[in-house]
Amino acid sequence: MSQFTQQVILGLLLGGIYVAVALGFSLVWGVLNIVNLAHGALIMVGSYITWTLFARLHVDPFLSLPLDAIALFVIGYALQRGIINRVIRAPLLFTFLLTFGLNLVIVSLLLLLFTADFRSVTTTYSGAGLHLGSVVIPYIRLGGLLVALVLAGILWLILNRTRIGAGILAVGADRDAAQLVGIDLRHLYALTFAIGAAFAGVAGGIISTFQSITPTAGDPYTLQSFAVVILGGLGRVSATIVGGLAFGLIEVLGQSAPGLGSGYANAIAFVVLVLVLIVRPRGLLGRLA
Amino acid sequence: MIAREQRLPRWVRRAVIAVAALGLLYVILGPLTSLDPAQQAGLPLLTDKLWFRIATTVAMFVVMAAGWNIIGGLTGYASFGNIAFFGLGAYAVGVLVSNQRWPFVAALIAAPIIAGLFGLLMGVALLRLRGHYFAVATLGVGVAVGEVVNNVPSLGASTGLFLPIVRSDLLFFYLMLGAALLAVIVTWVILRSRFGYGLLAIRENEEAAAVIGVNTTFYKVAAFCLAAALTGLAGGIFAQWNSFVNQENVFPISANVQMILMAVIGGTGTVLGPVAGAVVLELIIQTLAGGGTNAVYSQIGLGLLLMGCVIFIPRGVIDFFGGRSRLSLGYLRQTLRETSA
Repeated sequence: MSQFTQQVILGLLLGGIYVAVALGFSLVWGVLNIVNLAHGALIMVGSYITWTLFARLHVDPFLSLPLDAIALFVIGYALQRGIINRVIRAPLLFTFLLTFGLNLVIVSLLLLLFTADFRSVTTTYSGAGLHLGSVVIPYIRLGGLLVALVLAGILWLILNRTRIGAGILAVGADRDAAQLVGIDLRHLYALTFAIGAAFAGVAGGIISTFQSITPTAGDPYTLQSFAVVILGGLGRVSATIVGGLAFGLIEVLGQSAPGLGSGYANAIAFVVLVLVLIVRPRGLLGRLA
Repeated sequence: MIAREQRLPRWVRRAVIAVAALGLLYVILGPLTSLDPAQQAGLPLLTDKLWFRIATTVAMFVVMAAGWNIIGGLTGYASFGNIAFFGLGAYAVGVLVSNQRWPFVAALIAAPIIAGLFGLLMGVALLRLRGHYFAVATLGVGVAVGEVVNNVPSLGASTGLFLPIVRSDLLFFYLMLGAALLAVIVTWVILRSRFGYGLLAIRENEEAAAVIGVNTTFYKVAAFCLAAALTGLAGGIFAQWNSFVNQENVFPISANVQMILMAVIGGTGTVLGPVAGAVVLELIIQTLAGGGTNAVYSQIGLGLLLMGCVIFIPRGVIDFFGGRSRLSLGYLRQTLRETSA
């Protein structure tokens, strides 16, 4: 029984990472109608910033998270303003291919800069954890979950309590009407993408604390973000939280099921994903399209 | 008569632009291929063996791009999981030849059938989804199938399957070429049939197509099956050609996107677009890859090329050089205007 509890806790902690990873992805998809295949690459840029600061200047990984956010915000704004805005009205296949190309370029640049070696951020508290009876909660993972929830709170505040957020929601609802009331679409698209990228950067920072990173390590997270958004539903912060936690649970519990192992992680995730798509295309908490 | 005289220079002008563009591309990307002078002297078509390998690979991608074109280009369902069919075809031949001791020819007939049946299952389940949902669901299936195959012991698990080696460059070149021709002919026939018009109608407006009496579910699934069977055939030939099958070499996600890119660069929904795209892109990739030590630069080049094509010529080179456009620079500008924010 305690082993089951441990699995559930690990699942929820993993789910926290997925929440952090999927928040920006969900925002960009919901408002810009772009499935950003370069999301994983942006995450890795964040990871490498955290790693560089840690390895060169011994900055605590959790303290470098705001820097990840600022750097990725700038990069994200430039990418959207300079490149992605050019195809924003093209059919979805083209935005798909464009962001795939972007992913390829960013990952390759990271390979040139940092090589393909595995890098890890090992702090003094990396191996430690909170012991509750026979259940162990690693501090790093707990920190990740907390950061994810803070991120979700920040996104909710931005969207619901600021002028920019109102603009973003307006564009997401009806871009032509938003333009009519005087919103600068190009700027707002870029801003939305920049926020999404900043969140990806923070997620990358968290990821570097518990797994070894290589330039391609971000790619699975793109697919997992997609799965989280499908599972939870598009267009709400709460849906992303539910989707992320559920996805983490499914992955951890699925792998411990008899006859399956860690080799099946992606397969389990996608069988669930496809089932959800078929049975409930709006996701668990999604709104009607 | 006057119209014809005006038309000729335009063709010439386009050809000049085409050559100039390719030249420029080579000048820009050429230095990236290799820093080693010896490598630079070694053109991709230098030795016969290498030439056969490249030509066979090009033909293989023609099959895959043409197969994708049937579901993605004609029907408008952007599948990102066609690599699953390629892998299944390859594994079908792998298992039947190496475990069951079937003759290669018999296994090669079974490969497209197995891939096609899987396409049927996948199509019935997934073709009700649209847009991003369909794209990523198929991507998920592609990844999942590869992972399952990699874990099943009777399929060689992570070791893979070894097939008896057949040393004949010519045989596999002709087999792939035959498959490529078959794919082109199938596309051509589809585009001239009632079935093809049904698919185009679905692409343009699925509800309207259903209203005028197109059995959309049947048409979509049939198109998916055809694409699956063709891609599976290419996989089957590849398995014996390569004489080694594992997850990494027959379920690469990169090839998945490569075939789509080829169809898009060439021109989706056309008969020859995927062929042009496959030839052009594969040659560029081979040139970029050089000795293989500069894979990173070739990836950057490929990514930039992909982004440039998507932004400037989303309707493909076939439309760019042979379409209705008047001035090529104006064409680029107009495309940009149509899709920009």
